[in-house]
Amino acid sequence: MSSLCLQDSYDMFEMNGEVDVKMKKKKKIKKKDRLEGMKKEMDIVSVSKSLTLSPLLPLKSPQGLTSSKAAEVLERDGPNELLPPKGTPEYVKFARQLAGGLQCLMWVAAVICFIAFGIEFSRGTLGCFDDLYLAITLITVVVVTGCFGYYQEFKSTNIIASFKNLVPQQALVIRDGQKNQINAMDLVVGDLVEIKGGDRVPADIRIIFAQGCKVDNSSLTGESEPQSKTPECTHENPLETKNIAFFSTTCLEGVATGTVINTGDRTIIGRIASLASGVGNEKTPIAIEIEHFVDIIAGLAIFFGFTFFVVAMFIGYAFLEAMIFFMAIVVAYVPEGLLATVTVCLSLTAKRLARKNCVVKNLEAVETLGSTSVICSDKTGTLTQNRMTVAHLWFDNVIHAADTTEDQSGQSFDQSSETWRSLARVAGLCNRAIFKPNQESLPIPRRIVVGDASETALLKFTELAIGNMMEYRERFKKVVEVPFNSTNKFQLSVHELEDPMDLRYLLVMKGAPERILERCSTILIKGQEMPLDEQWREAFQTAYMDLGSLGERVLGFCHIYLNENEFPRGYKFDSDEMNFTTSGLCFAGLISMIDPPRATVPDAVMKCRHHSLPHCDHPITARAIAANVGIITEGSETVEDIATRKRIPVEQVNRRDARACVISGGQLKDMSSEELDEALRSHPEMVFARTSPQQKLIIVESCQRLGSIVAVTGDGVNDSPALKKADIGIAMGIAGSDAAKNAADMILLDDNFASIVTGVEQGRLIFDNLKKSIAYTLTKNIPELTPYLIYITVSVPLPLGCITILMIELATDIFPSVSLAYEKAESDIMHLKPRNPRKDRLVNESLAAYSYFQIGAIQSFAGFTDYFTAMAQEGWYPLLCVGLRSHWEDVHLQDLQDSYGQEWEWTSRLYQQYTCYTVFFISIEICQIADVLIRKTRRLSIFQQGFFRNKVLVSAIVFQLLLGNLLCYCPGMPNIFNFMPIRGQWWFVPIPYGILIFVYDEIRKLGVRRHPGSK
Amino acid sequence: MAKDAEKSTWKDFIWNSRTREFCGRTGSSWGLILLFYLVFYIFLAGMFCLTMYVMLQTLDDYKPTWQDRLGTPGMMIRPRGKAMEISYNTTNTETWDMYIKTLDNFLSPYNNSLQAEKNEECTPDQYFVQADSGDVKNNPKRSCQFNRTFLEKCSGLDDHTYGYQAGKPCIIIKLNRVIGMLPGKDGQAPFVTCGAKRYKVGKDEWKEDSDKIGEVEYYPENGTFNLMYYPYYGKKAQVNYSQPLVAIKFLNITLNEDINIECRIISNNIPPGSVRDKFAGKVSFKLRINTKG
Repeated sequence: MSSLCLQDSYDMFEMNGEVDVKMKKKKKIKKKDRLEGMKKEMDIVSVSKSLTLSPLLPLKSPQGLTSSKAAEVLERDGPNELLPPKGTPEYVKFARQLAGGLQCLMWVAAVICFIAFGIEFSRGTLGCFDDLYLAITLITVVVVTGCFGYYQEFKSTNIIASFKNLVPQQALVIRDGQKNQINAMDLVVGDLVEIKGGDRVPADIRIIFAQGCKVDNSSLTGESEPQSKTPECTHENPLETKNIAFFSTTCLEGVATGTVINTGDRTIIGRIASLASGVGNEKTPIAIEIEHFVDIIAGLAIFFGFTFFVVAMFIGYAFLEAMIFFMAIVVAYVPEGLLATVTVCLSLTAKRLARKNCVVKNLEAVETLGSTSVICSDKTGTLTQNRMTVAHLWFDNVIHAADTTEDQSGQSFDQSSETWRSLARVAGLCNRAIFKPNQESLPIPRRIVVGDASETALLKFTELAIGNMMEYRERFKKVVEVPFNSTNKFQLSVHELEDPMDLRYLLVMKGAPERILERCSTILIKGQEMPLDEQWREAFQTAYMDLGSLGERVLGFCHIYLNENEFPRGYKFDSDEMNFTTSGLCFAGLISMIDPPRATVPDAVMKCRHHSLPHCDHPITARAIAANVGIITEGSETVEDIATRKRIPVEQVNRRDARACVISGGQLKDMSSEELDEALRSHPEMVFARTSPQQKLIIVESCQRLGSIVAVTGDGVNDSPALKKADIGIAMGIAGSDAAKNAADMILLDDNFASIVTGVEQGRLIFDNLKKSIAYTLTKNIPELTPYLIYITVSVPLPLGCITILMIELATDIFPSVSLAYEKAESDIMHLKPRNPRKDRLVNESLAAYSYFQIGAIQSFAGFTDYFTAMAQEGWYPLLCVGLRSHWEDVHLQDLQDSYGQEWEWTSRLYQQYTCYTVFFISIEICQIADVLIRKTRRLSIFQQGFFRNKVLVSAIVFQLLLGNLLCYCPGMPNIFNFMPIRGQWWFVPIPYGILIFVYDEIRKLGVRRHPGSK
Repeated sequence: MAKDAEKSTWKDFIWNSRTREFCGRTGSSWGLILLFYLVFYIFLAGMFCLTMYVMLQTLDDYKPTWQDRLGTPGMMIRPRGKAMEISYNTTNTETWDMYIKTLDNFLSPYNNSLQAEKNEECTPDQYFVQADSGDVKNNPKRSCQFNRTFLEKCSGLDDHTYGYQAGKPCIIIKLNRVIGMLPGKDGQAPFVTCGAKRYKVGKDEWKEDSDKIGEVEYYPENGTFNLMYYPYYGKKAQVNYSQPLVAIKFLNITLNEDINIECRIISNNIPPGSVRDKFAGKVSFKLRINTKG
C-alpha cells in the first residue's frame, strides 16, 4: 500500500515536471496563459487520480544512499534550496525609476527643449542656451529623483534582506549506513532522513517510519492544526495524504524517518513560490493617478501651445518662430518641481511608516494602503497570536473566562474553588509538553515548548496559574502513561501522590469531552463529588455547545484516586493492556482553547471597516474568529444564521439579506468566477475558510475585477502568489517566509495587524496631502506661463525668464510643497469610506481648474502688477512696453528711448529685464506663501486648522523668504541666475493679491462647508 | 467589445444626447461656469487696472522714480549701419548714399537757424542748472544751442558727402541722455576718444587694428561734450533739448579691410561700467571702405 502510494505521488510530480517542460516549449505564449497554466498545474497536484507508468523508485535500504551516489544526484539536481525568485536586475529597477508618468513627461519636455535649442542655435538666436540649460535641468531632475527613489528602495530592501535567516539548516541523514548531520542544502532525492520534534522538514519526504509524528503544515496550507504523519497512504492527494511531509513545514513532535522524494524548487513549496513569480505586478493606484494627472497636464499644455501657435501665426510670426513658441509653452507647462515633491513626500511617509514598523519596499506602495478598499487578511499569525491559548474553563457549572491577552494583562477568574485545583492538577499532570530548558528569564507565554499546540497551551496555562510545572510533576511521579490516539481519543497517566504517606495512585485523563464524560460517574462540584445525573449531563452539554460555538477546541478532564488495595505500590501498570480502572471516573471540568486574536486587532478592524477576508482553518473557527475581531459585525448574519433564526432551510434564505458570508475552500472550488464576484458584491463581510494558494489568488483577482484595490496580508509561502497579485501585499516580518517577503510590497516588522491601520491612515493622509502639494505646485504654472504668452502676443519685454522659473520650481517652492506632507489630517480620515479610484482622483478637473484659472490667474495679475510697476518706476510706462519687444531685444540698438526721453543701451535693458524677472519672481513667491497657507486645508478654515500647528510649514515659509532674499541680494547673482537686487518697495506690491488669494479661498471654503456636495 | 464601450463613453463625454451634456456638463452649467469666470476675470482686471492707476499716479512726470540701470550711460553712433557695421564702396554711390541721408536727417535739427530760433546760447564749460524752487516747477526748461557748424568738416555743410566719397568718413557719436546726469566734475568736460578695438581671433588670441586706423580728427575740438548741455531734464520739461554730439573723421584709414574701432567716453565722474557690460560708456563698430569695384 505504502509503496503504491509512493509511486502514485511520485508520478504526479513527474507529470507536473512534464507540464513544466511543455510550458517551457511554449515560451512564447502570453504571460497570462502561462499563469493559467500554472494554476492548472497546481490543480493537477491536488486532483490528479492518474496512476501513470513510471519506474518504481528503488526501495531504499536502511543503509541510505552511498556518498558517491548522493554526490552524483546532487550534481544532477542541484542543491536542495529554494532559488530566490529571479530578482529584478538592479539596472532595471533603476530604469523603472526613470520611466514613471511624470518622468516620461519630463523626458519629452527635455527632447523638445533640445529640438528648440537646435533650431535657435542654428539661427543664432541670443539666449538660445536657456533651452539647453532647461533640457539639462529637466534631465538632471529626473535622474536625481530617480537616484533618490532608487536609494530609498535599496535601503528598505536591505532592511528586508537583513531579516533573512542566515543559519544554514541542518538535516540528519543516513548515508553509507551512518547517521550524519549535514546541511539540508546537500540533500538529494533518495536520501534517508530522520526528523524529530522541533525540526524543520528538510525536503519533501515520504515517511517510512513514524512515531507520534505531527507536522505543522500551516506555512503551506494555512491550517494551524498539526497533521499527524504515518507511513500509510491515506489519500491520493499528496497534500492530504499522511505519508508525505513537506519541505519547510515544522515537525512538532515525535520522530519520523523518510526518503527524500523531491528537493529544492521541485518541492510543493518550491512550486508555490514559482507560482508567485509568474503573477504580474499590479500598477499602484498612485501611478495610475499620476498618469491621469499627466494626461491632464499634457492635454492642457498641447491645447495652450496650439492655441498660441495659431495666435502667433495670426499675429504674423514666422512659422519657425511660432513653432518655438509652441514648444516653449508646452515645456513651460511641465511642473519641474512636482516630481521631486512627490518623491520626497512619499519617502517621508515611508520613513514615518518605518518608524511604526512597516517597511515599504516600493515607494509608491505607501499610498496604496490608503486607497485600499478590501483587505484580505490571513487569520493565522496576523489576526491571531498564532498560538493556542486557554480561553475558557467550565467547572462548578460555570464558564470562566481565562486571560488570553498576549501580556497577561487581562482579568483572571476566581481560583479559590477546590474543583479548580483538581482540574488544574489534571491539566498539569496529564500533559506531555515540556519547556525547553534555560528559558527561566523569558515570560511564560514566550517560552518555547516541545509538544503539540493544545498541550502547550495547557502547560503555559498551568504554569501561570500554579507555578513551576516541571517541579510540580516531579512531586507527582508518573507511573504510567497512555498517549493520545485516534481510537480512544483520550490520554491518561497515573501518578503517585505528593504526600508520601498517601499510597494511593492518582489517575488523570483528558480527551474529547463526550468520551471523557462516558467514562465518568461522578462530577466534582465545589470540591464535592456529586453523582453525574441527567441534570449535570445536560449542564455539561450546554457548556460544551457554548464553548464549541465560540470556535474553541474543548477538552474534558477527569481523574480518580485508584483504590489502594486493588492497586498497591509497585503494581505493574501496563499501558497497552490498560489493566486499571478507566471508567467510573470523576469529571473535573472542561477547558477550551483558541488561537486568540491579537489584542490590537479588534480595534484595528473597527478602524478599517472595509470588508476583510481571512483565510482560516475551520469554517466555524473562522466564523468565530471573524466575529471576535469584528470582521463580522454584531448584527450581521450569515445565511446559516438567518436560517437558524427563521427556522427555515438554508436554501430558502434570500442570500442578499446576509451581510456576512463564510465560504470554505471546498465550496469555492465549485464556484465559477461570476458566482464568486456575485458573492463578493452582495456580502460586505466575507470569510473564506481552508483555501489553497490558488484560491487565494482567485479571490484577489475577483476583488480586483470588481474594481477594488486589494491589500493582502500573509506570511506563508502559500500566500505569496496572492501577495504578489494584490495591489499591495503585506508580509509579516517575524513569522513571514522569505517567499512572502519577496512577493510583498510592505512588511510589518512586528507582525501586528494594527500596523496596517497605521499604514492605511498614513496612506490616506499622504493622498490628501499630495493633493495639496500638487495643487500648490500646479498653481504657479500659470504665473510662469502667462508672462510668456503676454510676451508673444503683446510683445512686452520678457517678464519672467527660464532660469528664474527653474529657481521657483526647484529651489524656493520645493520646501513649502514638501512641508504640506506634514500637515495633520483635517478630520478623522479613518471614518471616511475608502476613496473610489474612479471618481476620487488625485487631481481632478475642478482642482486643476481652480488652481490654474483662479488662484493661478490671481498670481499672474500680481506678477504683472509688480512687473509694470518696476518698469514704470524705472522709466518705461506700461503703454510704451506694449510692442517694445523687437527694439528692446535688438542688441545693436544702444539708444532706445524710455518714456522720459532717456536713452538705454542694450545691457542696461537686459539688467532691467532681469529686474523684471526678479520682481515677477518675488510676486509669485509672495502669492505662493498665501497659496501654501490656503492649501493647508481643503474644507476647514485655516483659522480652525491653526496657522502655526505645522512647524515644518512655517519654517518652510521662512526658508522660502530667506532663499528669495539670497537670490535677490547675493552679489554675483545677476550674471549667474539672472536675479537683480530689487527695490524693497517691490516686495510689497503683490501683497494685496496675496491677501486676495487668502480671502477668496476662505470664502470658497466657507461655501464648501455650508453647502457640502455642491460644485 | 471593451473598445466599443470605451468609444461610446468617449463620445458620450463630448456630447451626451441623453442628458444633453457637453463634456460632462449641461449647457446651463457651462453657462454658469463661463459667467463665473467672466465676472471673476473682470473683477481681477478691474483690480489690476486700479493698482496700475494708483501706481501711475505715484509717478513723477518729469523724472523716473529710479535710475538704477543708468549709472554709466551708453553711447551710439550715426550712421548706425547694419548691426554697427559701416561698409561701403567709394566708387559705388549707392552703397554710401543711405549713410549720407541718415546723417542729413539726423543733423537737420541742429541747423544753426533752427537752433537759434528754439534754443539759447549758454555759458560754456559750466552746467546749465535750472532748479525748481520747491514744488513750483520751473518749466519748461530752456536748452542750449548745439549748432551744426560745431561739427566743422563733419557738419555736412561744406562736404555734402561727409567725407564718404573720399574714403574719409565722418562718424557722429552721441552720449545717451540720462536725466540729471552731470558727466564731469571740477569743470572738466567729458570727451570721446576712439581707438582700435581688441577683438578675438582665436582661442586666447587677441588682435587689434591700431596701426590701420590712421589719423583721426575730432569735432568739436578734442571730442568734448560741453558741460553746458547738462543736466538733462527729460523730454517733457526740456522739449527742445539738443543732445551734444562729437564727430570723428578718419583721415587715412586703411582701405579694403575690416577695421574694428571702439570709442569711449573719458570723464572724471562717470563710473566705468561693469566689465560684463559691453556697452557702458563705449561704443564699438566696424568700418570697411572698399575702393575697388
